[in-house]
Amino acid sequence: MIEIKKVGKHYGHFQVLSDCTTAVAQGEVVVVCGPSGSGKSTLIKCVNGLEPFQSGDIVVDGTSLAAPGIDLPRLRARVGMVFQHFELFPHMSIMENLSIAQRKVLGRSADEARERGLKLLDRVGLRTQAEKYPGQLSGGQQQRVAIARALAMDPICMLFDEPTSALDPEMINEVLDVMVELARDGMTMMCVTHEMGFARRVAHRVIFMDQGRIVEDAAKEDFFGTPRSERAQLFLSKILRH
Amino acid sequence: MGYHWNWSVFLQPTAAGDGSYLGWLLTGLQWTVSLSLAAWLIALASGTLVGVLRTVPNRWLAGLATAWVELFRNIPLLVQLFIWYFVLPELLPQRLGDAYKQSDPLVQQFLAAMVCLGLFTSARVAEQVRAGIGSLPPGQKNAGLALGLTLPQTYRHVMLPMAFRLILPPLTSEFLNIFKNSAVATTIGLIELSRQAQQLVDYTAQPYEAFIAVTLLYVLINLTVMILMRRLEHRVRVPGFVGGGQ
Repeated sequence: MIEIKKVGKHYGHFQVLSDCTTAVAQGEVVVVCGPSGSGKSTLIKCVNGLEPFQSGDIVVDGTSLAAPGIDLPRLRARVGMVFQHFELFPHMSIMENLSIAQRKVLGRSADEARERGLKLLDRVGLRTQAEKYPGQLSGGQQQRVAIARALAMDPICMLFDEPTSALDPEMINEVLDVMVELARDGMTMMCVTHEMGFARRVAHRVIFMDQGRIVEDAAKEDFFGTPRSERAQLFLSKILRH
Repeated sequence: MGYHWNWSVFLQPTAAGDGSYLGWLLTGLQWTVSLSLAAWLIALASGTLVGVLRTVPNRWLAGLATAWVELFRNIPLLVQLFIWYFVLPELLPQRLGDAYKQSDPLVQQFLAAMVCLGLFTSARVAEQVRAGIGSLPPGQKNAGLALGLTLPQTYRHVMLPMAFRLILPPLTSEFLNIFKNSAVATTIGLIELSRQAQQLVDYTAQPYEAFIAVTLLYVLINLTVMILMRRLEHRVRVPGFVGGGQ
């Protein structure tokens, strides 16, 4: 589904990503972790072309991002993305947030978009909030809306960029529950997160990044059992101490 | 002071025999308001376009927009007006220039003042629009793009609606400025409000009454603008948005 081949990216002399290679198969859930500044967010943003890269290639469902003249809006419409800071559109009601891209990008009618939107709000447990505005919801609720907004486009895979790190602790679980359910329904997911509990429960593979490189790319059992690299061992020992 | 106050001067028939002096002031008010509104439409449309272009990734377009802003912002308004009125008609192709110069002087004055004020103000509107876009969280653009919206769609549906809400107060000042700046049109002879006040003084020798009346009319215009803009702010405020009120 997603193939990342020898991707490299630099700002001037600063190498952000070097020689990153991995793949996410259909239905697979891959968690990307690593210390801050390791390039994990940048890597995931390369997958839908929000960040350009200078070398290598990323192929999503047969579409190469490095190909000249690639239709980025078309690709992005098929790849859902959830951001750290939710990024709901504050001037639109929850329902408008869910339907704007369905109507403008997929050409659905207002009624179709609304119906699909309500179904997804139901799924994330927020149907009653459809007419409210983002500023009237809690962080956890906003992030669940953001997930519903991405799902409304019927994406072939979902990218999560630290979806719980801007949330108050008591709201993290409501978001993770939605993500777990999504994973169990067979959605292809690539998640940048430090939630190792989530990784243990639903991830198939864990990728560990450090200084712009993929240091470890292993099945979940192997990663948590016996991480091979010293950096990954150190990282795990630090975040799993409590 | 031996000044002889005479407020009834406004009701007297004019020396030119075209109604009352109050009628002159009201004609001036009409020209001031229509000139300012027409110029504001130009300023808002071109200023929004230029402000947006200053924020796009394309370096050529952004450079062009910067040049626009610097050009109209850095030449004094009065000089710009003289260029539009006296110089540019000479640069038109012969036939077009002749046709223009043979048209009603009032039309020439109005067009020159409208374009001049509109473009001058567009540079200022562009700066506000750019600032508004710049103060949005950077993730908003990415969120629009990530949903498959094109960059123009993202500007139209995601970024500009919020940017305009943020810059409504400074835009109100620009809107007020355009009414005040429209008084420069008096220098090319357009019979707008301050011109009519000057005429009234020439004909009646009652400067205090004339300028007090004109001042009140400008105040009236600006109060109306402020009330309308306040209502607009109230109407478009975003529920639950910090700074937007509840």
